[in-house]
Formats: sequence, structure tokens, C-alpha cells
Amino acid sequence: MKLYKFSFITLALAASVTACTDYLEQEPPSSLTPENFYTSEDQVQAVANRFYQDIMPGHGGWDYGTYTTDNNTDVQASRTPSAKFSANLWHTSQTEGDWAWGNIRNVNYQLAQLKAKLAANAISGNETNIHQYIGEVYFFRAYAYFDMLKKYGDLPILTEALPDDESVLVAASHRQPCNEVARFIVNNLDTAITYMKEDFEKRHTRISADAAKLFKSRVALYMGSWLTNFAGTPFVPNGEGWPGAAKNPNYTFPTGSLENEAKFFFETAAAAAEQVADKYKNSLTVNNGVVPQAEGQSNPYLELWGTTNCAGKSEILLWREYSKSLGIQNDVEVAVEKGNIGTGVTRSLVERYVMADGKPIYASAYTYDDSEIAKVVENRDPRLQVMLKVPGQVNCFKNVTDNAGTHWTETEPTPNITNANAEDGYITGYAIRKGMTFDRALTANGGSYNACVIFRATEALLNYIEAEYMLTKNIQSGKILEYWKKVREAAGFTGAAVDPQVTIAATDMQKETLDWGAYTAGKVLTDATLYNIRRERSCEFLAEGLRDMDLKRWRSYEQLITKPVYAEGIHLWNTPMEKWYNDLVADGSSSSNVSQKSISEYHCPHVVNMTNNSYANGLTWRMAYYLQPLPLRQFLLTAADHASIEQSPMYQNPYWPTETDAAALQ
Amino acid sequence: MYKMNLLSSRRVYVTSALAALLLANAPVNGAMASGGVTGIQQTSSVKGVVVDQTGEAIIGATIKVRGSQKGVVSDFEGNFAIDAQRGEELEVSYIGYKTQVIKVTGTTVKVTLLEDAKALQEVVVVGFGTQKKVNLTGAVSVVDGDELAQRPVANAAQALQGVVPGLQIASTSGSLDASPSINVRGTATIGEGSSGSPLILIDGMEGDLNTINPQDIQSISVLKDAAASSIYGSRAPFGVILITTKNGGKESKVKVNYNNSFRFSNLIRGKHMMNSVDYASWLNDAKTNQGQSVFFDAERMAAIKEYHDATPVGPGTRRTADGKLVYAIGSQNGVTWDDGYGYGVDDIDWYDVVYKKSAFSQEHNASVNGGSDKLSFYASIGYLDQGGFMNMGSDGFKRYNGTAKMNVELAQWIRMNYNMRFARTNYHRPAALTSSLYNDMARQGWPMLPLYDRNGYLYSSPSPALALATGGSDRKERDVLNHQLGFVIEPIKSWITHIDFNYKIDNAIRHWDSQRTYNHNVAGEAIIYNQGSNVHEDEAKDNYLNFQAYTEYTWSMAEKHNFHVMGGFQTEQLKRTVFGLQRNGILDPSKPEVNLTNGLSYSGEAIVPDVNGSRDQWQTAGFFGRVNYNFDEKYLFEANLRYDGTSRFRSDKMWKLFPSVSLGWNIAREKFWENLASTVNTLKLRASYGSLGNQNINNWYQTYQTIAYNSVAGSWLQNGAKPNTTSAPGLVSALLTWEKVESYDLGLDFGAFNNRLTGTFDYYIRNTKDMVGNAPELPAILGTSVPVTNNTDLRTAGWELQISWRDVLKNGLSYGVTFNISDARTKITRYPNNPTGSINNYIEGRYMNEIWGFETIGIAKSDEEMNAHLAKADQSSLGSNWAAGDIMYRDLNGDGKISRGAQTLADHGDLKVIGNSTPRYLVGLNLNAAWKGFDVSAFFQGVMKRDWWIGGSWGGGLEYLFGTTNSWEWWSVGITDVQDYYRDANTWSVQNGYQEANQDAWLPRVQFSDKNEQAQTRYLMNGAYVRLKNLQLGYTLPRQLTQPWGISNLRVFVSAENLFTITKMPHQFDPELMSNSVDQNNGYPLQKTFAFGLNVSF
Repeated sequence: MKLYKFSFITLALAASVTACTDYLEQEPPSSLTPENFYTSEDQVQAVANRFYQDIMPGHGGWDYGTYTTDNNTDVQASRTPSAKFSANLWHTSQTEGDWAWGNIRNVNYQLAQLKAKLAANAISGNETNIHQYIGEVYFFRAYAYFDMLKKYGDLPILTEALPDDESVLVAASHRQPCNEVARFIVNNLDTAITYMKEDFEKRHTRISADAAKLFKSRVALYMGSWLTNFAGTPFVPNGEGWPGAAKNPNYTFPTGSLENEAKFFFETAAAAAEQVADKYKNSLTVNNGVVPQAEGQSNPYLELWGTTNCAGKSEILLWREYSKSLGIQNDVEVAVEKGNIGTGVTRSLVERYVMADGKPIYASAYTYDDSEIAKVVENRDPRLQVMLKVPGQVNCFKNVTDNAGTHWTETEPTPNITNANAEDGYITGYAIRKGMTFDRALTANGGSYNACVIFRATEALLNYIEAEYMLTKNIQSGKILEYWKKVREAAGFTGAAVDPQVTIAATDMQKETLDWGAYTAGKVLTDATLYNIRRERSCEFLAEGLRDMDLKRWRSYEQLITKPVYAEGIHLWNTPMEKWYNDLVADGSSSSNVSQKSISEYHCPHVVNMTNNSYANGLTWRMAYYLQPLPLRQFLLTAADHASIEQSPMYQNPYWPTETDAAALQ
Repeated sequence: MYKMNLLSSRRVYVTSALAALLLANAPVNGAMASGGVTGIQQTSSVKGVVVDQTGEAIIGATIKVRGSQKGVVSDFEGNFAIDAQRGEELEVSYIGYKTQVIKVTGTTVKVTLLEDAKALQEVVVVGFGTQKKVNLTGAVSVVDGDELAQRPVANAAQALQGVVPGLQIASTSGSLDASPSINVRGTATIGEGSSGSPLILIDGMEGDLNTINPQDIQSISVLKDAAASSIYGSRAPFGVILITTKNGGKESKVKVNYNNSFRFSNLIRGKHMMNSVDYASWLNDAKTNQGQSVFFDAERMAAIKEYHDATPVGPGTRRTADGKLVYAIGSQNGVTWDDGYGYGVDDIDWYDVVYKKSAFSQEHNASVNGGSDKLSFYASIGYLDQGGFMNMGSDGFKRYNGTAKMNVELAQWIRMNYNMRFARTNYHRPAALTSSLYNDMARQGWPMLPLYDRNGYLYSSPSPALALATGGSDRKERDVLNHQLGFVIEPIKSWITHIDFNYKIDNAIRHWDSQRTYNHNVAGEAIIYNQGSNVHEDEAKDNYLNFQAYTEYTWSMAEKHNFHVMGGFQTEQLKRTVFGLQRNGILDPSKPEVNLTNGLSYSGEAIVPDVNGSRDQWQTAGFFGRVNYNFDEKYLFEANLRYDGTSRFRSDKMWKLFPSVSLGWNIAREKFWENLASTVNTLKLRASYGSLGNQNINNWYQTYQTIAYNSVAGSWLQNGAKPNTTSAPGLVSALLTWEKVESYDLGLDFGAFNNRLTGTFDYYIRNTKDMVGNAPELPAILGTSVPVTNNTDLRTAGWELQISWRDVLKNGLSYGVTFNISDARTKITRYPNNPTGSINNYIEGRYMNEIWGFETIGIAKSDEEMNAHLAKADQSSLGSNWAAGDIMYRDLNGDGKISRGAQTLADHGDLKVIGNSTPRYLVGLNLNAAWKGFDVSAFFQGVMKRDWWIGGSWGGGLEYLFGTTNSWEWWSVGITDVQDYYRDANTWSVQNGYQEANQDAWLPRVQFSDKNEQAQTRYLMNGAYVRLKNLQLGYTLPRQLTQPWGISNLRVFVSAENLFTITKMPHQFDPELMSNSVDQNNGYPLQKTFAFGLNVSF
């Protein structure tokens, strides 16, 4: 009887527990799960949409946006130099944040899902559209990888989202030679191009096949030049002292040799660039030389950037839109009407622009006079003429009664170089106009909505010129001259000045030493054609964010090791500009507000105060700085014993130590 | 429950004179010693002596003449004299003894008081029942509700701080809507994906200490060890706080009580900005020390100085000594005022602008209770109105409470309880008072920014005032409505079945309107400043169901074997619905309603309204049982078993069994103790073991991989609109399961000298096993967060001691002292997630919260001194440009350089453990005394040992300690507390005559670098403190005066909260608010409050 009762109770309990288990089962009622997602065109688009904001660049909130990207090169100076211009302030660290694989993992995860669902025919909607979006995702993997390639060189190549399994992750951490990484990127772009439909979208706020081709030429040109200029050094596979040698034993180039590998990349670059260049070479926007000063005046070339809407500007292959009403804003108009908040273009940049006759400033029929900013732009390259702001010019004439615009500057003042305030001061004294809309409605602080240009077809022409020249060393080969002239015509040159050979003939390499692009491997180039190809890029891509990439692939920083230089601005001393200021203090003390005359007649913003100044002796360099150090903790995490760096499948970049907080070795 | 009332009243007396005074008026007032006694000695006709069974004199016994107001207290020899007529009855009472009534038959009388067994039968509320305190085997602390009442605080949690040893309550902010954090017995989990808060039950259902009216609380039991709390299973691994609310009486007399308090508060440890000249000097010093040019050039400095020295005559206008008018801001273009950062010369302390000097609050409570055996009731209402300190705009908090309880005998064998509790809280604040405001006030509150332009309009540069004053308001209204219906069925004696249906509706609605703000131009015309305007509404509603049914049976065998068994079932379910919307374009700023928005931006473009909505739920189910046995109340045994299931885990991990067992031994009841029993009345040893599970995973569905889909939210626009976006899901572990919590407790309860001295000591160990730990650190190539999983163990060991002494002197002065102290430390016992032994992570075998840092030698007072130091210890790994005014770190490993090594246990360079941030030795001290109607009490609370290193730049608040960091000038904090920085003859401000040299400074020279701001001994803060939490003085009017008005009791009081603090913390930090959150350690300050009020009973 008792046993019976006991069994009954047990049975009842067991039954209620089972019932309870069903009662307790709880799926998330308000969340999507991967199993039933990725099934419609709009969901595929949502996947792609996310990567635009995660991976692509855009204007930041409180400065001159992407136009500050060229800071810390020879063309633009920030108020304080980066540690990369010091001999010993750039240190290794345990946890360097750039070694971040989140974007790449996310792309890999999403691609795997999309490909699986596509293969299973499980995505409803327009097939062209679905393919386009998948193509975009491939492009994003390429873009994210190229960011990493520029920073670190050799990289692990990941094609799938990895599981949280240490052994898998350690195995995957193996770094592949940089050319293999570049090939991987090129392959991704090829896949992207095949998925995407030509001219899919007219406004060009989505990635297009043309944008992918342009980017492909950029990547290939980068790797071709890298291999060429660093040949024989630890920065290339199988180069002397290449740190990857031990972990990539017996590495052979797919093309057999470094030279052939470089050639492969130059050919790839030229071919891809040519496709884009041919499509757009006749629709480049031409600079009419006008700096609009009142309603009714305009310059379509300035409006490439100085606008809130780039739709319809065929030359622009990708741009990013901002909106006041949606609160997606930047500070570009505020910055451009002031002293270019956060950046200042340098004397080095200003002097490399040729005169209107196409000849360098020292060789022209025109006289170059930098005693006043207004004279600097006289008879110059038409691009500089419209881009460099001259005191007295009108910055703002549209919607001047719009009270919302609080930070407008109606008339360009004399540059306030003595003011160290980031928002009000001029760093070098030279300020540019790129992105200016002349519209007060955009000048609320942090409330600008100027468009952001990401890719421009003009780059394809210049990429082709350089790649083709690197292959042939002959300016007559292929379409070099044709494209070059197109660029110069669009720039606003006329007559003989359109012909780059005029410039080349007049170039004296010994007088171009302010331009770091005139150097490779510490030496001034002897090839004036090559130099002028570089010069043309620099002049055309003013503040477009490509300068550091170019200087690194050209190996154009290391001359600073032996000969540090000062970043220079306007010709302050012994010119009428000295009289613009009545309160100059220039004794190098902490009370100084401009640099000393004894250092340079040109204002050197980094050496105003010589005390406590890490850059008092100018900007210098270490070989190691061409690549970033890898974060040391990653070595420990991938080492079998979690303590010995040498057990890791990874290796440190050239000339960087494996000690924490230590400076570069050379 | 009637018994409860009486018995807990006794406790009150033990620890609080205040409470004694209150309860003197209870229907059971005969038991009280002194409270209601006038103490007026009169010419007496009766003399007597009071003794106990052993003939020992009883001091301080209360003797009253029944039916009159006359009363006296026995003296040191137990003697008393009272004016009483023959035939009248004397009532003699004393704590712990049975009250005696004696008829006056002559002029002398001898009273022998007998020990009151009832006192020993004090009953404590425990899980699913009550238990005689003497039979308790778990670690349970009890607080009487009246100990909490009449503290001028906003909620019960604040009043509980420091009262119970091992119950750690920490303020999180002085903001009116802040709720303190509550923790039982130290670190429960490492807080990665799971939480370890105690379960708070109000009359048996989950509730909130912040919404209950403290006046309704009858008693609070804190169940601290697993044996006590295991009956609650998965919801209670880290302790339970059981709150029992007041009930109606069994006597037919209806009692009405009303009390109030009026409070004036001011801020403690508030910050202030430097004045404009000091601030500008400081910022220029930082810039120039960094090798840069000054921010404020010579001309601006002169203007700042001139304005600072001048006399205010109007908005943004001052007059200098020589009669010249100077202005805080000018206009370069003649139309709009200049930018404040670039051109302002004002002299504003933005902390004074934002915060008022004082705030006023008030509280009113009324209750009525009464009833009979058949039906009893209790009803109360409460109102609290807390004023805030916002000077621009306003903030405030109101709470309304209503309670109705009744207990009805339906039949001889069944009773019904119905309990309704309602709480509404209203909180409002300026819409701009978000957590970022505190930082913005500090970093953007430059004193030279003009507060007002010359026309008297608020002017934002941006700066904090304009948006606070005119940017709209944010209002929250939360209603918590509890219905509890219960039946108690007792068909045969001692077999009792409880069936409880508990339902709670917790509904919070929030409205905010963000208004356009306007600056004004020189002509006084409004200029749009912030163009955005929107109205936001959201609602979050929780429907919580708790059903429980349990049955118990009690029997005794041979009078000595006492048994109790209990078993039951409980289920809980929570369903949460949230939705919200926001639409732009307020049409009429005075009517900020969604219906009156046009959905357009300032410039007329349509903006898609934001909408959201979701439903979520979880549920648990559990079976439980308990067996109690004791032999003659000498040897005690209890065992609990609970089998719990939860929806948080997948079905194969869903269920878990949790056993616990505890033993007790009442030594004082042993024969061999008899001789000692008169001195040591109580002595009990307790021991317990229990195992519990924690299902409090922060994410309700953590075992499911979910896709984040954001509609119309992308920041890369397409066709001028925000697109839909979705991102890849993170990794999850489907193997996630219960955390297991094992706890061991050894306790000792004692009472001596007629229980005038009582105490409790507990030692415990709590192992949290298979804790959801930090995910293992994996190579960064994974590209996402590693999913957390059950992989960590920790062990918390600690002890608690509480000692009370209470006595009554023959002059009638009663006094008491209660002291408690507790300590807990936590060691990580298993941690596979830190393969490299990184010191920035938890390390197996080490105590938690270690602070690693450098040892500081000091500040170099000259370049020579620094260079001499650098020659021995190269500091280049930390920074460059070492000079006078910089920190010299000690080269501990003697390798000639200062380094952090790999920051691992094996290689940590010159770093060492310099402190530990675990709060140690938490103390509470209550002193009280009462005499002739006056009562005074003081309550101190503190932490005796704690180190603190303020975290990183803008992650932890390094700026608030050092002023400037490597986040540069726009993220610097120029408060007065950072002004003591190193300056010498080479410093800009000294060279230019704005400051004196300060070579003996506490802070290093000011720079935009973290090289001097490494974790180090010099700036390690000592977080120990003692705070006088409450000081209270009351006076109860003699009953003769109040009785004619029908008032049985009238007490007036003055009270002060947070009166003073003893600590070595730098002034800008409050030791109670230490946290790595800048919002907390630099947010709304705590307050000092002065209050007065009265308490009246009819």
C-alpha cells in the first residue's frame, strides 16, 4: 500500500515535471534567428547596407571630415605631429586596437549565409538585385582587407567566420605573404564585379562594378609598387631579413619571381584602370577656374565636392550622403569656411603645383611669389587657384539670412596662425576650399551635411598612367599621354600646359626635394617622368586621403631618418604677411605664438614652443614605421604555452621588437 | 501575526529607543519599559521592590497604575515608590519578563517577575513560513520595520544600509531616481553575463525595495546562507530579503497613525569649476607643457583677468575699478555673438549654475488598522515628494503608496488573506539631464563661456545651461500594483495548506519632449540653436504571476521530539511588453504631444518616426520540501530540497536539484549549562550547508543566436533615407546552464546578562561553481566576442558579527548600542579564460579586485633631479619629455628602466599589486538613548578598508583626478580640485604672472599625456570612510497632555542624514559612489538632509 502510494506520487511528479518542461521551453519571441532569415531580397540588401557604415569611410563629426585624412604627410599638417614622425615615441603595445577582425568576420559570416541560401534557391526577389547586393558584400571584404594590408602587410587570409576554437584560430593566424593577400583582394573584387550589374544604380551611393574595378586598380598598383620599391628588404616576401621566412618556408611567388609578381600587379592595375578610364575619360568635370563669389557664379569642378548631392556627377563613382533632417551630419562646411579645423596644407604641397604654363615654379615664365597668399595662386595650376583660400574672398553667399548657420565665415580673413585653438586657428596659414558649398544653411556647429566623395573616376586615369609607366618606363606607351592630357584638361590647363611633357622637360629633380614623393628609398628620383606622375597624383588628389598610401608604397618617408624636416606653412617672415599680425611672439618659449625666424622664414606650426617639444628637431622616421607593430598579446594567445612569442604562428613586422612599450629598432 | 507584532516590538526596544517610544502606544503597551512613562515622581503611598525568580533586583522595571497616567521606573536596587490608592492595580513590566498586575493592598509591595517564555519564542519570518528564533538553524538577520521608519531617505534600501551585517548596500548616485545596489555577503559572480543580486520578496512575492513605503514594513528578514534561502531555489542563490508588511490587529480597537517629515537637503562633496583666470592659466600650462602654443593668447588672458576682477552690473557685463564696462562676449560680425570657447571671457562656475544650493522634500504617511479574530484590516497611504537640485529646468520625484490588507475567517478551517499594494512613482527631469550631462558639464563648462549674453538670454557655445533650461522635459511614471490572494486551510489541527495567487502589474510609461533651443543675436532676436524637436513616448509593462501551493504538518512525539514537514510547488512567469515611438516636429512647444507633431524636421523634410515594440517572457517552476526536527529545542535539524526548472536554458539543461541541510545546538539549554544560564542566557551553535543554482543570466535567451535587425536606422543613407540594416549575429553557447552556488555557514548566537548583551557571529564560505565567466581570451582573429560559458569558479569567504547592548538605568535613562561588522573576500578558484596570465584579467588563485600599479618615488622638483632619476631608471616606455614636475617611478626589478613588461603574472615589469578595491570591514554602529520622553539616536555606517584607482580616461574618470589626460583640452576637467598641480619658474602661468609657483604640489605638472597618470601608489585613493548616516532627536509629549485630545502618542523629531564623513578620499570623489562609471563617481552628488516632523497616533 505504501509502495503504491509512493509510486503514484513519483509518477505524478514525473508527469508534472515533463509537463513543466514544455511549459518552460521558451524561444525568443521578438528576435530573428539565422535559420529563418536571409530569405528575401530586402534582407540581403539590409546585410549589404550595414557594411557601408561599418567599413567605408565618411566625414567625422567635429573637423574637416575626410579632408583631414592626409594629415601627417608632406601635404597636410595636423597641429601635433603623429608619433610616426618621432624617433622613439611610437611604441609596441600589448593590445593595439587596429588588429581588429570584426568586419572581416562579419563579412565572412554573412557571405556564407547568403551563398548557402542562394544555392538552395531560398531567397525570394529580383535575382539581379540579390546578386548586386552579394557582389557588394564581396567588395566589402576586399575593402576591409586592403585597410589591414596597408597597416600590417602579411596577413592571415580568412574566408569564413571562424568558430571559438583556439586550435582553429591559432592555425588560422598564420600570416600569408602580402602579395598573396593582395591577390586575395583582387580575386574578391573580380567576384564582386561578376555578381554586380553594370550601372545598377544611378545615384552612385551604392558600390558599382566600376567602383570595384577602380578599387582593384588601386590595390594592384599598391602591391606592384610595394614589391618594386621594397625589393630586397624585409618588407617583401623572400627579401633579406623577411620576418616571415621561417614561418613561410620555401615560399615561391606564383609568378616565379618578385619582379614578375610586381609586373602581374601592374598589369592587373593597368587593365582594371583602363576599363574605368575609357568609360569616363570624356565625362570628367572640367575646372572653369571660377571661384564663385556671388549667386550666379559657379565652378562644376568645385561642386564635385562642394555639394550636398553628388548624384548626376558621372565622374563620382561612390559618395556618401548626409542629411540635416535625419541628423546624419558632419562639420565640413564649418571647417572649410574657417581654417580647415584639424588640418593645414603645407608649403611643400603649394610649391609642387606647377605654374599656369605647366612648368614648375622655378622654371616658369611666370614668377612665383609667396609673399602673400593672393600672389601664391597667381598664374598657377588652375586646381590650386580655385582650391586655395585667399583672404578677402567670399566664403558664404548662399542663404546668408539662415539663422541656423551659426559658424559661418562670410569673408576669408587673414589666417589666424597665432591662435592654437583647434576650431579658430589656422595651422599652417594655408587653408583650402575643397567641399565648400558657400551655403550658410550648412554652418550650424556639427550640423553640416556636405557630401563625402569616396571614389572618383579620375583616379583610374592616374592609376593607369602610373601602372603602365612602371611596366614600360615609356611615357608614349599605351594611353598614358591621352589620359594624362584628359586629367590636365579637366584640371583647367590650356594650351601647351596640357601636355605633361612640358612639365617633365622643365623639371629639375634637385629642386623638388620639398616633395617627399620625389624620393624613393632615401634617394631623390632621377626619372623626372615618374616624379611628375607622382606630382600629378598629389595635385589632383588634394586632401582626398591617398597621400600616406602613396608615400608608403613609393617608399618615400625614409629620407627623413637622415634629414628631418619641418612642416612649413606660409612665408611669414620677411614678407608683408608679417605685418598681418601685431602680437607675434617668436622666441621659442612657451609664450610663443609663431615659429622662430631662425628656423625658417616659413611658419613652422610644430616648433612654435620649443620647450617640452618632441618634434623640436623636425619630423623624422624609422624604417619600421612603414608597417604597424602587431599587438604582442596576440603572439602570447597564439603560442602553445601562452608565454613564448616564438611559438606563435605569427611574426612581428620588420624592425619592431617583441617587447612591450618599446620603440622601433631602426 | 499578532504575536509577531508584539515580539518584534520588543526587538525595537532592544535596538532603538525611538521605536520603543512608538510602540508604547500599541495596544500591548503594558510590556513597555519607559516610553510612555512620564517618569514624574510623586508623593507616594506605595513603596515596593521588583525582583526576579532568583531574588535579584530588577533595575528599570516599569510600574504603572492601571487606568491612570502615573508611572515610575525601579531604581538600582529594584526599589520604587508610586502614588497609588488601595484597590488600584499596579502593572509591572520589564523586557524579557511576564508583565504582572498586582492589586494594592498595603503600602509596600514585593513583585517577583517571571521570565517570559514568550520572549524566547520570538518568531522570525523564513521562507514559506515562520520559525521560532530559538530554533533557527540558518543564517538569518532580522530588522524591525520601525528601525527604518522616520529616516529622511527616499527608499527602504537607503535606510537598510549598514543595518545588517553582510548586507551590502551601496549608493549608485545622488540622482532622485537612483536605486542603491544591494548585495548579500560580497561578490556573488564576476558579473559577466550573470548577476548575483539577492531576491527581494514582499509578503512572499518579488518586489522592489525602492517602491515600497518604508512605513508599511513590519519586519525584514535577510536570509543569508543557502540553508535559509534554498527553499527559493534558482531565484535565491545570493540571499533573500523577506519583507513582511504590517497587518491589522486582533483587538477591535481601531488605531490611526499619522506621521510626516519635512526635509531640507544640500549637496555633499559637490564640485566647482576653477575661476576663469585659474582655468585659463591651467589650460595654457597644459598646452605649453605639451610643447604647444597657448590656448588663450596674451590679449585674451588680459581680457579674462580684467573681467574676472571687475564688478557685475548686468547680464554678461561688468564694470572695472576705473569705471570701464567690460563684456563676457563680443560680436565680431556685429550680428551674432562670438563663439564662447574662442572669444568668451566670462567667469562662471557651471556647477553653481546647474545645481541649486538646497532642495526641499516632504513625506506624509497615514495608516489605520483594527479588527477581530474574524476579520482584521490594515490600510495605509503614503506620499513622498522629493525636490531635486536642478537649477535650470527642474527635477523631482514623487511616490504615492496605498495598501489595503485584510484577513477573513471564512470558516473555522479556512482563512482568506487579501493584500493589495499600489505604488506610483513619478520622476521628472530636464530632457537634457542625461548621463552625458555630468561629463559635459565638467568638460564643456569652461568658466569663460558666457552664461548670459548682454541682453540677458542664456547663451550656449555649446554649454550645459540652455538645453537644461529650455530643452524640454523627461517624465517617467511607474505604477506597481500587487494583488495577493491567499487561502490558509487547516482541516485538522496542525495540517496547514497555503494556496497563494500573486499577481503584479508593473507598468512604466515615459514621455520626453526634446524642444528646439534658441540662442539670441546681438539685436535680441532668437536664432535657432538646436533644430531637433521630438516627442517620445514609451511603455514597458511587466505582468508577473507567482502561484504557490504548499502544505505543512507539525507534530510532537513524547513531548520532546518535534517534527515539521512541508512540501509544495511554485511557479513564476514574467511577461514583458515594451513599445515606444518618437516623432519629430513639435507644433506648439507648450503642448508637446505626439498628436501635435508634424513629423517634419526644422527645414521641412519628413522624418520617419522611430517605433519599437517587443514581447519577451521567462518562467520557472519548482518543487520543494522541508523537514524540521528538534529534540526538546536543544538539538535542531533542518533539511530542504528544491527541484527547479527555468526557461533560460535549453530543455536538457533546464532542471536542477538543490539540497541543503542545517543543524543547531542550543547549548544554554543543556543541563551542564544551568549554572551559567543566569549569566549567559542564550548560546546556540549553528552549521549549514546548501547548494543552490543561479539562473539569473542577463540575457533571457542567451542560448539562441539572434539577428540584430535595425529598421530605418542605417547611417549610410540611400536615396536620402536611412536604410534597413542587419549585422552578423554574435557567437552563443547553447551549452549554457546553471551556475552552482554552494555555501557553508557556521554561526553562534549568544545572549547574556538577561539578554542585555546579545550577539551573533557567522563565518561562511560560498563557492560559486561553473559560473558564467569571462569568455576565454582567444586570438583577435576570431573577430567577435567569445561567447560566455560556465567555466569559472570563485570562493567568497567572510564573517559577520553583530553585538548589541541595551540597558535601562535607574534614573530611567535607557540606552543601547548595536555594532555590526562584516568582511568578505573573493578568490578566483578556477579561471581557464586567461591563458597568458594577463594581470588585466582575473587570475586563478588570486583575490579579486587587485590593483596593479607602479610605486611612486615622487615628483621631480627640478630637471636635474629628473635627469638623475632617468639615468637610473629609463622611463621612455611610458612617455617622453620627462622634466621637473613629472613623476619618478621606482624601478622595482632593477633593470634600469620602468616598464610594464608583458603585463602578465610572469612578466609584469615594475608593476606590483598596490591595493585592492574590495570594500572590507563594513561597519554599522547605532547608538541610542531615551530619557523622560526624549530620545536620541545616531547611526554610523562605513567601510574600514578599501583602495581605489580611478580608471582610464573617459572610461573611469581619470580627468577628475588629474584634470588633463591624453584626451586633450576638449576632454579636460578644470575643477578646483585639480588646481594643486606642479608649477615652477618655467611654467607659463608663473612666467606670465598669473599664478604662483607650486613646487610642493600634490599633482604633477599638467599635460595632455598619461605618462604621469599611470596606476601608482601616490594617487591610489584610500576609499575607507565612516559616515554619520543619521542623527535623530525626538521628544514624545507626556500622555497627560495629549490624552485629552484623543491622542495616544505624539512625538516630534528632528533628524539629519549624512551629516559628516570621515575619509581620506580627495574631495571631488564620494567614497560611497566609487565605481568605474563616470556617471556614478562624478554624477549627481549625494545629499545631506535636515528634517523635522511629527508622529501622532489616535
